[in-house]
Amino acid sequence: MRILVVGGGTGGTIVANSLARRLSGEIKADKARITLLSASDRHMYQPGLLYVAFGQMMPDELYRDQQSLLESSINFHVDPVVDFQLNRNQLTTESGKIHEYDILVIATGSRIVPEEVPGLVEGAETFYTEEGAVKMFKSLREFQSGKVGIVVGVPHKCPIAPVEVTFSLHDYFKARGIRDQVQIKYHYPINRIHSIENVAKWAKPEFDRMGVEYETLFNVREVDVENKVVKSEEGTEYEYDLLISIPAHRGVEVIEKNDLGQGGWIPTDRYKLTMEGYDNVYVLGDTTNLPVSKTGSAAHFEADVVAENIASIVKIGAPVTEYDGKVYCFIEAGHDRATYAMFNYLNPPDLKPPTKPMHWFKMSYNKMYWTSVRGLL
Amino acid sequence: MTVQTETQPDAAEAGNDDLQRLAELARLVTAAQDALSDEMVSRLASAFSEGITLLDRLTRNEGLMHLLREIDRPENQRFLICLSDAFTKASRDISAAPPAKGGVVGLCRLGCDPGTQEGLRLVSLIGEHLSESMRELHRRGG
Repeated sequence: MRILVVGGGTGGTIVANSLARRLSGEIKADKARITLLSASDRHMYQPGLLYVAFGQMMPDELYRDQQSLLESSINFHVDPVVDFQLNRNQLTTESGKIHEYDILVIATGSRIVPEEVPGLVEGAETFYTEEGAVKMFKSLREFQSGKVGIVVGVPHKCPIAPVEVTFSLHDYFKARGIRDQVQIKYHYPINRIHSIENVAKWAKPEFDRMGVEYETLFNVREVDVENKVVKSEEGTEYEYDLLISIPAHRGVEVIEKNDLGQGGWIPTDRYKLTMEGYDNVYVLGDTTNLPVSKTGSAAHFEADVVAENIASIVKIGAPVTEYDGKVYCFIEAGHDRATYAMFNYLNPPDLKPPTKPMHWFKMSYNKMYWTSVRGLL
Repeated sequence: MTVQTETQPDAAEAGNDDLQRLAELARLVTAAQDALSDEMVSRLASAFSEGITLLDRLTRNEGLMHLLREIDRPENQRFLICLSDAFTKASRDISAAPPAKGGVVGLCRLGCDPGTQEGLRLVSLIGEHLSESMRELHRRGG
C-alpha cells in the first residue's frame, strides 16, 4: 500500500508519524510505504508567533528540522506538489517527479492574504509571519501613547487569535505602565465580538473590565496609510496610531490552480475526512472546507482519525472511526492567565474563568508541541 | 442511640481532617505557583518533552532493545562484570608497565606471552561471531 502525504505542517507530520508507528510491521514487510512531500525542510510552531510579537519567545524557538521530527521509516522529500491527477492516483512535484499512490492525504494548509485589502500590508502590523511578528514587537516597544486598533479579516486562521492579541496588548501596556495612555479598540466583522457565541459571552465582560472598546460589524474595506484611517465596508472609520491586523487566509494556491476546491478549501466529508468524490483521498487541517476552526488542534484531532482509519484499511480493509469535530483551543487571557475552549460538531464550548495554572499548561504545551507532532501526544 | 451520639463527633472530626488536608494541598499549590515562573515552567516542559522524545527514540530502536535484552541475560551480566574488572586491571597494569621499546623483537616477545595469546583468541572469536551475524543480516536483506 503506497501512502502519500502532501504537506509537512502539523496535520501532515502527525498523520505520517502516526501511520509509521501503526504500520511498522507492514513497512518492515514491504507491505506499506509512507512518503511525505513538503514545501520546506523546516517545521514551524505557528502559535508561537503571538509570543514573538510580545517578546516572550525568540523566532528560532519556533523551528525544528522537519526530518528530525519524522519516524525513520518515512520517505521524506522537500518537493512541493504542482499537479494533482486524482483520477490516475498520481501527482507531479516541482522537480518533475511523478508519485503514484493508493491512498493520498492532503494537508497543504493555508496562506494569509492581507494584500486583498488595499493598504493593509503597508498600514498594519500582523504576527502571522516571523518577519511580521518581529516587526510588530519593535513597533509595540516604540509605542508610547495613542490609539491601537485591532481589525479582523474573514475567514482567518485561529479563531481565538483576535481576543488573545487584545488581552495581550492590555497586559503589555499595563506592564509598561502606559495603559492609561493607550486606547485599545477591537473591531470584529460580525454582529457580536466573537464568532463562537460562548467565547463572545465570556470575552465581553473581560473587555469591559480591561477598558477595551469594541465595534462589531466592521469588515475592513481599506486602510488609508497616509492619514492612518481604517475604513469598513459598513461605512464606518477608525483613526489609529497603531493598527494590528488578523489577516484573512485562503487555502494554498496549488489547490485552487488544480480546481480541487474554491478558495483553496477542499470539499471534505465532515466525519470520514475524505475528499468528496474520492474515497482514497483524505483531507485535513486548514485544507478542508469543514465548519471547524482552522487551528493546529483541529489538524491534530483530524490527523489521529485519518491515521487510525488508513491503518485499519491496510490491516482489515475498512475504516474504524469518525471525526466528531473536536477542537481544543487554549485562550491566553493576558500574560499570566489562560483558559480553554473545547467543542465539537454537537457541543459548544463552555469557558471557565482564566487561571495561572492554565497559562502554564499553555506555556508547557508550547514546548510539548514537538512531542505532539512526533505522534506521541 | 448511644452508638449514634458516639459516631457523630467522629464523622465531624474526619470531615475536619479532610478539610485540613485540602487546605494544606491548596497551600502547597499556592506555594508552587508563587515559586515558579513562566521561564521555569517552559524549561521544565522542554526537558520533559525532550526526555519523552529521547525515551521514545530509544525504545523504538530495535538494535538497542536487542542489546538490552541480551544484557538482561545472567551470563551477559557476568560478562559485563568481567569486562569492567578487565578494564580496571588493564588500567592498573598499564600504569605500572614500562613504555614499549618497539621493534620486531619486542613484538615477538609480546606474541609469545600466554596472556596476549588468550586475548587475541578472545578478540578473534568475537570477530568470527560478529562477521557470521553480519553475513546473516545481509542475507536477510537487513
